Amino acid sequence: MTNFKDSTSTDQLNSDPAEAESSSRELPPKIAALSPSEWLKANLFSSTFNSILTVISVAAILLILRGLLSFIFNPLRQWSATATNMRLLMTQAYPENQYVRIWVSLGFLLFLAGVSLAFWRAGRRVQIAQVGKQLLAIGAFILLTTLLAPFSNKATIIWLLIGVFIIGVGMFLKPADEQKTVSSLTLLSGAFLLAILSLWVIPYGHHSYISTRTPKILAEPGTVAMTTKLPWTIMLGVAISSYFLACIFRDKIDEAKSKAVLSAAWLISPLFLLFLVLRDPDFDTGHLFSTDIPIFVFFSVVGSVLLLWLTKPEIGEKGRIISTAILFIGFGTFAISMLMIVRILTLCLAFFALAAPTFSGQKPARIRYAKVWIATMVILCWLITAINTPSTAKVPGDFFIGGFAITLMIFFFTMVLAFPLGVLLALARTSKFPIFRIISTTFIEFIRGVPLITILIFFSVMVPLFLPEGMDLTEIAAVTIAFIIFEAAYLAENVRGGLQSVTRGQHEAAEAVGMTNAQKTFFIVLPQALRVAIPPMVGQIIATFKETGLLAIIGIFDFLYIARSVIPGQTEYMGSTRENLLFVSLVYLVICFSMSKASQRVEKRVGLGER
Amino acid sequence: MSDNETASSTRRDRDLTNAQDMIVCEGVSKWFGDFQALNGVSATIKEQEVVVVLGPSGSGKSTWIRCINRLEQHQEGRIVVDGVELSNDLRNIEKVRSEVGMVFQMFNLFPHLTVRDNISLAPIWVRKKPRTEAEEQATALLERVGIPEQADKFPGQLSGGQQQRVAIARALAMEPKVMLFDEPTSALDPEMIKEVLDVMKELALSGMTMMVVTHEMGFAKEVADKIMFMEGGQIVEMGTPEHFFTNPTEERTKLFLSQIL
Repeated sequence: MTNFKDSTSTDQLNSDPAEAESSSRELPPKIAALSPSEWLKANLFSSTFNSILTVISVAAILLILRGLLSFIFNPLRQWSATATNMRLLMTQAYPENQYVRIWVSLGFLLFLAGVSLAFWRAGRRVQIAQVGKQLLAIGAFILLTTLLAPFSNKATIIWLLIGVFIIGVGMFLKPADEQKTVSSLTLLSGAFLLAILSLWVIPYGHHSYISTRTPKILAEPGTVAMTTKLPWTIMLGVAISSYFLACIFRDKIDEAKSKAVLSAAWLISPLFLLFLVLRDPDFDTGHLFSTDIPIFVFFSVVGSVLLLWLTKPEIGEKGRIISTAILFIGFGTFAISMLMIVRILTLCLAFFALAAPTFSGQKPARIRYAKVWIATMVILCWLITAINTPSTAKVPGDFFIGGFAITLMIFFFTMVLAFPLGVLLALARTSKFPIFRIISTTFIEFIRGVPLITILIFFSVMVPLFLPEGMDLTEIAAVTIAFIIFEAAYLAENVRGGLQSVTRGQHEAAEAVGMTNAQKTFFIVLPQALRVAIPPMVGQIIATFKETGLLAIIGIFDFLYIARSVIPGQTEYMGSTRENLLFVSLVYLVICFSMSKASQRVEKRVGLGER
Repeated sequence: MSDNETASSTRRDRDLTNAQDMIVCEGVSKWFGDFQALNGVSATIKEQEVVVVLGPSGSGKSTWIRCINRLEQHQEGRIVVDGVELSNDLRNIEKVRSEVGMVFQMFNLFPHLTVRDNISLAPIWVRKKPRTEAEEQATALLERVGIPEQADKFPGQLSGGQQQRVAIARALAMEPKVMLFDEPTSALDPEMIKEVLDVMKELALSGMTMMVVTHEMGFAKEVADKIMFMEGGQIVEMGTPEHFFTNPTEERTKLFLSQIL
């Protein structure tokens, strides 16, 4: 066999242009930095018209800032309404004595976050000089704010000193060497550390809502209540220590495998935390051992035996007939009275069986497929059991949690379930089969033509009336389904855009190596389509998060509803709506902004090796 | 390249008369709307034969080669590949496609997969090979096309010539009986054409049945067992390279050769 190593010598230059250039060419000339007065002239006062525009804009910005500050720092503002009702805003009336469950859940999520940040090597290096510049800007902003705000003399002096101190730190760091960098994670955790430290030191006031026989609101001067600052300090400790622990262990274990485990943990943990930790279900052991566990064992054993057989490469047409038969049995179970869990698991088995030829292969591949089946069974059975078991959390209203927690919960379920549904709809819309195309197009166009609020009201009011007797749907489940179908229709259009961007050549190349349609879609088309669809999908996800505010209109005790209607209803805090709404909008702003920033990083990462 | 020349001259002396038919086309016709792209093409390609298809652009060369693995559907006539006739039966199409390797003008590598995964994906999922075996094979094939060090890069990080060699390795990974090349060097810079042609020559010497649509006359002269000249969706002239380049019979062929040589 001849080797063609010799002919690659020319490519080496092409494959590594950076290296080649650095050795043979000069560096580009450095552009001299402009002096401040030159910068002002070039960017703000370059012509008469631009100068007028600059003056007008600066005046407008200052006026708006002054208006906002005099609103916030007006002594009439009841900021203690928000501070006292923080727990109500976050979790509604979750039982006080069970509150440790909330902290455990949050701690677990922070632990996962810390470990994931370590394994995905998140964070970039920031030049210390750059940090100095940022601090200068922050200090200047604080000075400006202090001068504009209607502070008392003492407060003005304190804030001015703080501003000057920050500027001083900035001046000290600014001339640092270009080579000196610091991790952005260090900066972030430093900021959090300062914020939480201030809870122990600075007298923000002691706010609490005591719900004994006669509910009482407490707002006293002093540092923040122990029930707030202690858990938060522990939370920060958990996040930072899990990060460092993971940094130690990440080199010792298989990275790809642990990333897969982490991703699975992220997907499963909200279900686990919601239905097991927060909901504290009251399991009926008799029913568990007589019905649920036998059904689980039956489906896992029979299912994996069947799938092991169906994934044999030589099975051919026989396998397809059997899997179609299971599909029909699965649909048939809905006609006769039967446990819901059996219906769902049969349908699930049918889909796994139908997909089996795509994943057929040698023994390890087939065993892996059976393992995936058993894992699916574990999650599904446990989830169905947990949902069907009544909660022990005794709260007013028909759901065990509310406030920001329910906003997050509905958002999570919408994203996790709307995403696969949206991909399926997009595939159906671009399918060769007219029936799929027509159903999907009708669905998408219909949903996109109806306002979300209409769909929400329809699902919360009308759908429970249409349900067959004996079937029950809580309002939360109904509106979550409404969100899912609405977002799925929009996501489907984003994914369709991605699918159309995959060139004909890619389809042909996949066909030319003999891939089946399913393999082509799964391995070649979808990965490329989803990558293209990331920016519009992130926009859609952020929009979804903001749209959860509509829950307030149909009377679900979400974040916005509590801020707008519940707190201003308390006798102590009549008319505190604007304060609460400002707080809510700040929370929405912070979360949406971080999602958008994170998505920019993700875009850059997945862009690797594309072109 | 003297040893290549001696090798190819020994190759032409080889007797292919007893070889089995690999591709048989009988009266293949194909229309795009009202435009007839193929007009009754009939030809037989034997096992281990290297056929080069020449012709001006728009003459139907690419359409014909794409019909052979059903990337385009022919509307009249028969195409039989290794004893399997191409019809609307999906299983026949998949069977033929896994026996026929195809190399495209624009490479069409999968940009989201590394070079190694590009090559081993189809053997794992279509041929149902164990992953380790498929990856070993991918490494061996990269060795064969001369770029073993690029295995973990993405296609976008390679030069055009390297990408086309990966595309050839990807097609070879399915262990095909026939390789189809649809203008494999047309999208390449001149200095990269040679490295791809060298790989193709090596492949021809190893006894692969090949059908090549190209404008590389040097390659046609040196490697082809048979040259087919197409014009207006028909095969105008067919013969050995000596016959074709030195003593063409058809007027149209003479005109074509006078324009390019």
